[in-house]
Order: sequence, then C-alpha cells, then structure tokens
Amino acid sequence: MPLKRRSAQWPWQGLLVVILLGLAVGLWIATKQVNYEWRWERVPQYFAYQDEVAQVAPFAGRVVKIDADGAYSQVHMLPSAGGSPVLITVETDTLKIADGAQVAEDAEIGATRHWRVGPLTEGLWVTIWLSFASGFIGLIIGLIAGLCRISKNPALRGLAVLYIELIRGTPLLVQIFIFYFFIGTVLNLDRTIAGIGALSLFVGAYTAEIIRAGIQSIPKGQTEAARSLGMSVAETMIHIVLPQAFKRVLPPLAGQFISLIKDSSLVSVIAITDLTKSGREIITSSFATFEIWFTVALLYLLVTSVLSQLLFWLERRFARSD
Amino acid sequence: MIEVKHLIKVFEGRGQVVRAVDDVSTQIAKGEVVVVIGPSGSGKSTFLRCLNGLEEFDDGQVVIDGIDIAGSATNLNAVRREVGMVFQHFNLFPHKTVLENVTLAQRVVRKREAVEATDKAMALLTKVGIAEKTNEYPSRLSGGQQQRVAIARALAMDPKVMLFDEPTSALDPEMVGEVLDVMKQLASEGMTMAVVTHEMGFAREVAQRVLFMDAGKVLEDAPPAKFFTAPKEPRAQMFLKQVL
Repeated sequence: MPLKRRSAQWPWQGLLVVILLGLAVGLWIATKQVNYEWRWERVPQYFAYQDEVAQVAPFAGRVVKIDADGAYSQVHMLPSAGGSPVLITVETDTLKIADGAQVAEDAEIGATRHWRVGPLTEGLWVTIWLSFASGFIGLIIGLIAGLCRISKNPALRGLAVLYIELIRGTPLLVQIFIFYFFIGTVLNLDRTIAGIGALSLFVGAYTAEIIRAGIQSIPKGQTEAARSLGMSVAETMIHIVLPQAFKRVLPPLAGQFISLIKDSSLVSVIAITDLTKSGREIITSSFATFEIWFTVALLYLLVTSVLSQLLFWLERRFARSD
Repeated sequence: MIEVKHLIKVFEGRGQVVRAVDDVSTQIAKGEVVVVIGPSGSGKSTFLRCLNGLEEFDDGQVVIDGIDIAGSATNLNAVRREVGMVFQHFNLFPHKTVLENVTLAQRVVRKREAVEATDKAMALLTKVGIAEKTNEYPSRLSGGQQQRVAIARALAMDPKVMLFDEPTSALDPEMVGEVLDVMKQLASEGMTMAVVTHEMGFAREVAQRVLFMDAGKVLEDAPPAKFFTAPKEPRAQMFLKQVL
C-alpha cells in the first residue's frame, strides 16, 4: 500500500500571506481616513541624538591660527591682555570665525557635538533594570513564600496564604498606588524603590504558587531517598527537591517574568520614567503619536522575545538529564 | 544491632483505623540476614520503614546500634546515615549522573573530599558491575542497573545495616537475578540486612531467619529451612501454598 500523501502546505501559507497583507493595507487605509501624516523620521532622534555645545571665546583676543584637521579645527587664540595662546577645538563645519579675526569675550567660535542617549533608550533601560530587579527579588520572595506555603507550621502557612491571596486578589495598579502613597509615605521611600517593591511583591505571590506546585510535583520517593541517606530537611531541599522542581517550573516562571516586563509599564503612574512614560513624554513634544506607540510596543516585544529565547535555551540545557 | 520492642504503627484515614504494625518485637544480630515475607498489606514495608524512621511510629521502641531512634535526644539524621535503604522504585536522583548519585550524600552528609568520594563511588560501582555507566543519567539505565546504582549509593555511606524494601518487585523478570546477585554478595561479606521481598528463592538461600507477617503481626520467626518445609501457622501455610 502506498504511504498516505501529505496534503500540500502552500495554499495555506499563501492564505497567511494574503491575510497579513490585507491587515497591512487595512491599517494603511485606516490611517489615510484620519488624515494622519506619518513622520517616522522623527523617531530615531529619541533613541540617540547629537547635542551641539557652543564653544565661546574665554577672553577678548585675536585668532592667530586655525588648524583644520578634517572634522575638527584647532583655533589658536592670543589674549589681547597678553599671555600665552590658548587652544580651542570645534567642529570644522560649525566654525564661525576666520583666521586673524578679533574676537570679543564670550563670542561664539564654533560648536562641538556629542552623542546623547535619547529618552526612548533611557526609558527602555529603566524598564529593563526595573523588571530584572523586581524579578530577582520576586523570585526570592516567591521561593520563601512557596516554602512557607507547604510548611507544617500553621503560622508560616497562614502568613503565606494570606500574602498570596491578598496580592492575587487585587489589581496591580491599586497595589502600586498603595505601595507608593501609603507604604512609601510611611517609610519615606523613593518612587523607584516603591515601584520595585510593588512589582516584586506582585510577582512574588505568583512565583510562590508556581514554586509550591513545582515542589509538590516531585515524587515523595526523592525526599525519602535523600532522608534515608542521612540528609537533613534543608539539605534535601537544596540538593534534591529544588533543582528538580526548578527545572519543571521553568516554563511557567518564564511566562511570569515576561508578564512582569509588560506589567512594569504600570509603574509609569507613579512618575517613574520607564519606557511607557518616556513614550508619553515624547508624544507631547513630537506629536508623532502613532509612531511612538508602535515603537514602544516593538521595544517591549524585543525585550520579551530576547528573554523568552534565553529561557528556552536554559530549558534545553536542563533537559540533558531527561 | 537492631532491637525492636512492641512497635505499633497506626494509619488513620476516612474513618478507618489500620494497625499496620501491631506490637512487633524482634531483634536482628550483627551480620544476620533477615527476610520479611507476607501477603500485600501485611505491614512488612511499613515495619521496615519504621526501622530508619521514614515512618514515624506511634508506640514502642526501635534501638539501632544502641541508639533509640525515637529518643528525644537522638539526631535521626545521624542514625540514618548508618542505615542504608534500597527502595522498590530505586528513587535515584534523576538530575544527577550515576557518579553524582553515589557521591552526593558522601559529600553533603559525610563531608568527604571530592577525590575520596569519587574513589569510593567508583569502587562500589565496579563492585555492583556498572562502572562503565558512571557519567550517564539514571533515565538511560535499565531497571536492574538503576537498582544496582541505588545499592551502591546506600553502601557509599558505609552503613552498618542495609534495609531492602522489595528491591526486585519493580523489575522486569530478566533483571531480578543481577540485583539478587549483588545482594547475595553483600550477605556473604557479612552485612547486616533486613529484606522485604517476594523472592522465596532468595529467602531460602540467603536468609538466616524468615519473619512471616500478616495483618501487622509477626506470626512466624524461623530459619528458612524450617519455615518453608514446616510452617506452624495456618496463614503461613496458606501463603506458601499460593506463592510456591
């Protein structure tokens, strides 16, 4: 009997391309309808831009010599009050004076340019380090809360359950406000600390449940084998249960941390200049509303996909013993 | 070596109370091999697990090498490192290689140096005939090989007693022999052993004494020659008729 022929894939792939093209065209028509003028050329300057700093004469004097060295020019100035000549470096194309000119004090000679990091890059950086700091602290909180959650001690268990239920039952936005306006005021916290605190506690509660489930999924025989070899409860946890549990919970943990990066956009409400807040600020000055929001979304997508690739790689490494 | 006095273990659940181990008293001398047999649910595994405190018993006393394991001043972890245990389902650590399985407890519990622990592990893995698999993960090994690694892992702690909880019950028939051979060798070297098993051949050949348990009680305590040929208890006679 001949093997069953696999049906061709290309019609469906073609359909996919058609649908995507249709979406793109729809988007284009939609923006035409609202008479939106796309100004993508305005976006790059918000990643990095060249800042011009005017160079002025430090004193009244005379230009004795100009060495044009490609992009830069060295202007030699001799003070009229007497003394040794002084060297001023400016960009050649900004040079405003000629050789031998008399220059008054504070007169502009030219300018130098410096690359500056734009607000989008700064915001992106804030989002990244804020998420990683909260993720790391949240992982530690989650580990402790998860272990308390399965503890035999009723006090520890009760506290862990209360914490998890409180955090999971209230919106993150409300938690951020409470953390900033109430706890932040009482303890006199900086807004960044308050933001990290709120995000860590939030992600900690979800991580705790993930870790609890992971620990409980490890067969009892593993603990028994370790204990029968004379290991203590803590040694068994550290060497036997947690490494295996961690491997199992890596996919849900990864999902949690990717959500965290996205949820971190909420801290912009307490005036932390993260990616989202940077985007909002840029829009007020550039009026490139659509472009900036699309760029911001793309940047979030970039960070989350890099992270998910990284975790995928880690997962594959752990799978060696399977 | 092991002394058990009036051991009682009760399981409660769903309104039922099961006396899994019901007033068992016995002793195992140094170098003695004792095989515990009985129908399933007779409490023989629970009895064995009480001997190293994996199961917390409700009443009675277990004394190992002069130490009361339920005593308030007793460090149970210190007792357990002297009592090796081999499980029905091997319970090897799947995230560690064969070698790491055997060295881990030596490093963590006995605080041995890496070189010393590795040498010891290699010697034991060679002894159980599995030295060529040291860098494999347990999932790549057959059941019989895994169980031999588990025996090596327990022996690496230099235990004074070895407990075997149905070590061959989860194995494919053709792999039972290789595990029993290792156990026979251990017995001939003078290891004190308590073995829960359904392998009557092993009991007959290796055991010095056979304990027959039913409903949590030890009904017979006799040398194998006597037990297998002339059991006193009717329940033991029934059991032997069914398994032999």
